[in-house]
Amino acid sequence: MGTIDIDYGSLGIGLLLMLIPVYFLWRFKTGLLKPVLIGTVRMTVQLFLIGAYLRFLFEWNNPFINFLWVVIMVGVAAETALTRTRLKRSILMIPISIGFFVTVVLVGLYFLGFVLKLDNIFSAQYFIPVFGIIMGNMLGVNVIGLNTYYAGLHREQQLYYYLLGNGATRNEAIAPFVRQALIKAFSPGIANMAVTGLVALPGTMIGQILGGSSPHVAIKYQIMIVVITVVASILSLMMTIFLASRKSFDSYGRLLQVHKDTKRR
Amino acid sequence: MLPTLFYLDAMVNIENISISFGNLTLFRELDLQVCCGESVCICGGSGSGKTSLLKAILGFVPLSEGTIKVDGTVLTPKTVDHIRKKIAWVPQELALPSEWVSEMVRMPFELKVNREAGFSKERLMEYFISLGLEAELYDKRVNEVSGGQRQRIMLAVTALLDKPLLIVDEPTSALDPESCLRVINFFKSLCSKGMTILSVSHDKQFASGCDKVFTL
Repeated sequence: MGTIDIDYGSLGIGLLLMLIPVYFLWRFKTGLLKPVLIGTVRMTVQLFLIGAYLRFLFEWNNPFINFLWVVIMVGVAAETALTRTRLKRSILMIPISIGFFVTVVLVGLYFLGFVLKLDNIFSAQYFIPVFGIIMGNMLGVNVIGLNTYYAGLHREQQLYYYLLGNGATRNEAIAPFVRQALIKAFSPGIANMAVTGLVALPGTMIGQILGGSSPHVAIKYQIMIVVITVVASILSLMMTIFLASRKSFDSYGRLLQVHKDTKRR
Repeated sequence: MLPTLFYLDAMVNIENISISFGNLTLFRELDLQVCCGESVCICGGSGSGKTSLLKAILGFVPLSEGTIKVDGTVLTPKTVDHIRKKIAWVPQELALPSEWVSEMVRMPFELKVNREAGFSKERLMEYFISLGLEAELYDKRVNEVSGGQRQRIMLAVTALLDKPLLIVDEPTSALDPESCLRVINFFKSLCSKGMTILSVSHDKQFASGCDKVFTL
């Protein structure tokens, strides 16, 4: 059972549906008309570009090229995190790159090697989508987590210094802020996990069913995808926070300027 | 009563320190010695650097020059954690993100360094009485407690930590004269047990109750 292809004409017909949200966003003067149009165009172009290079990755199916792709994706994800958190490059670039790379390799290869038990764990058919979905989730969680962590430290400096001034170790003094970051970054995901399959069918499962898998196989993949993305997200966030913290404080534990200088608008 | 020699050792020894922020110099070449078991109050006008001096002892404000010794140890990046373990600190207008007073008072006891001292509700209640606080405050929400009460609650907690050095910023800023007198007597009782207290205050009544007053 294969997947029915969507030809370009049909794709155009499908995209016409976007006129409905466009109408309402325009009718109620939401100011979202331009962003939604730009977003749709960007999404379409980006996905076609990804489709183009994925085709080559699948054709070549070379472990070194696949790993090179991971390295490039880690770099892109780190750059995206830098932009979205506004943290200084000197503070975040190396920690987040290490956090992403180490985590995605550990968790991804664990899944491919020990759960799927593949003969070739670098097979592009599994390697690319699994590493891709892990990285996508890690990026989102890290951006929320890092923003919460540094915003908390900045806003509640008194708590940080109170703990430090009363004999806390550096790790004890940052613990309340790490806690806040974990809660903020993981609460939505945990809430979604609890209703997975009840309110909405998850993407991986739908993709597999459309691709011809039986629902029985699809749910097992979905469970594992949720597990590895949660594990990878938490591991990468913890690694990034602790590595970044080494550069966020001076030798006396004083909080340094961590955000890029921004002019007031 | 502790032997006389105990009182002669310096708990805090500040030698020739200067503190500047950019082009602004708060003070230059300051010397100050606080002996063990002594209560010293630092006074001075707004912006004279009183709070910065306290924060410098904790390693939170960099020195332009000079050295600070706490209990004989020179403050450096390598010794700062060791020094902070000997200090109990109450900053000015402390607002911890706790919902309940019972949570707030236990917070410092969750730190590894303070586990040995251990939290004792009975002892805390004794300190509450000394400071004129009602026992019911313990079970209240933090936002139901006034600024002055919160200030005294944190003083009681800090005393419970049993550290050799207590550093307090404006301990009586939100207190009436009667409560201020209670704090003075409370500090005297702590000093008599060997604790050293270094505070900053604008309050003349409080300053007059300390062993020494140092004006910046």
